[in-house]
Amino acid sequence: MSFHKYVFILLVALLTGCGDLNPSPDDLRPPVDTSQIGSSVGQPAPDFALFDTLGNPVTMSAELSGADGIVLYFTMWCPICDSHMSHLRTQVIPNFPKVKFFIIDFVSGTISDSLTAQEINGYTDLTVLVDDAQEVLNLYDANMGITVVIDSTGIVRMNEYYKDATKLIDTLTALP
Amino acid sequence: MKSRTSSTCVKQVLRGLVIGAALLFTQPSHAASCCGGGSASSLIIPKFYTQELAVSFNYEQYNGQWQSDGSYVEDLPDTDLKQFRLNLGYAHRLSSNWQASVVAPYVWNDNTYSGLESSSSGLGDISLNAWYETFDNIMCVYEVKDIKDLMPAIYVGGGLLLPTGKSAYGGEVSDNFDITGRGFYRLDANLLMDKTIWPWTMIFEFSYGIYLERPVNQEYGNYVEPYDKQLGNRRIGLLSLGYTDFLEELDTMTYTLAYNDLKEDQGTINGATDPTSGFTKRSFTFTAAYATMDKEWIVKGSIHHSIRDDNWGSNFPATDIFTVELIHVIP
Repeated sequence: MSFHKYVFILLVALLTGCGDLNPSPDDLRPPVDTSQIGSSVGQPAPDFALFDTLGNPVTMSAELSGADGIVLYFTMWCPICDSHMSHLRTQVIPNFPKVKFFIIDFVSGTISDSLTAQEINGYTDLTVLVDDAQEVLNLYDANMGITVVIDSTGIVRMNEYYKDATKLIDTLTALP
Repeated sequence: MKSRTSSTCVKQVLRGLVIGAALLFTQPSHAASCCGGGSASSLIIPKFYTQELAVSFNYEQYNGQWQSDGSYVEDLPDTDLKQFRLNLGYAHRLSSNWQASVVAPYVWNDNTYSGLESSSSGLGDISLNAWYETFDNIMCVYEVKDIKDLMPAIYVGGGLLLPTGKSAYGGEVSDNFDITGRGFYRLDANLLMDKTIWPWTMIFEFSYGIYLERPVNQEYGNYVEPYDKQLGNRRIGLLSLGYTDFLEELDTMTYTLAYNDLKEDQGTINGATDPTSGFTKRSFTFTAAYATMDKEWIVKGSIHHSIRDDNWGSNFPATDIFTVELIHVIP
């Protein structure tokens, strides 16, 4: 068999092989039971209690009091996280003064390590919550870059990757 | 094979750190060489040879990152992020002036992040390339006797990057440790100019890549509202200077220092610019290559070094890459 035929067969095999080679545009999200507490859009958000990097206790229920909503951004202090948080700080937070924004650090094992990461990366002006046991990470089925919006009634309005923040801004603008 | 010895947080490492950097350097590295023997990022058969086989092994060590404003930041304490890649390359001469090649990487990740450990592995993105040689004869000279002797060996080519790795957007990904590719097709236009006036060789290479837009309906194992995404256009410039030392029996040692400049523009989401995307990186590569007299066997070692200081990159991890490579060229 010639070299050209080998290449052709390889290409055909690859093009029919996996999802990235032939990506689907279909919406395959599973249905959500909005009567159950959960992390999906439309569900009542699970409450949480964490400490911030200054040692102050923070709970979801307390923070929602008197606010239009809260935003959780999950960081691991990587370059993409920095790009997201920088954008969040300059392009989003100033436009929503009645919304509370929290950075969730789920990689630093202690409050002091998290404070160090916060200072090294230059985000001392934001409130960083220390999810040292990754409880909130698991509660919200989150990972790096996931952004969660919870409205004042405790309903999840957004839970997805930050991307370009268009969805975040639209969601915050639509908060009651 | 994948093993997991930590909690979920370590799974996230690859998304931010590995996707961006490691997958950009999956091709075998070449030192300056005679008369069309290759460049720093491409697999190219020397003139009048018919085939080339290359096996290289990369070890990439992460050493901090550049933030979006270009400032350099050290890694968190107790962090040790590494990636290993085995690259298999094959090039075949199609005619006297045309050649094609394929490079397939296999990727291992081995990370300790804030004291937690994890590892993973998988096929990376495969690249296909075709080159046209604009010259018909050996372009190396021992001395310049005529203006024609200054003419470099010029190659023009095209490439296709196939998203055969496991990306954040593919169906195979169950967690972030599965990620070994970016998930996008990319078309490249390549130019390479190689001039040797013994014992010196200078190479200039430029590559411009366009990622194709694709639909996305899942991220990191979770289905999401579908959207269209396109990464930004990518350009790489390389300028290298090499010196060849002739050994006994005319074997050679070639030492090359290369400057690399990489930039990826901001991408788009549903057609709108994503202001959080895009990156830059400038770095240096030193390569030492031993070649037998007939140039049929070549052994190379290289160090790709990132300058850990402000403004040598942006929105990107700083890494050092150590490479060893064995090449067999078939007449």
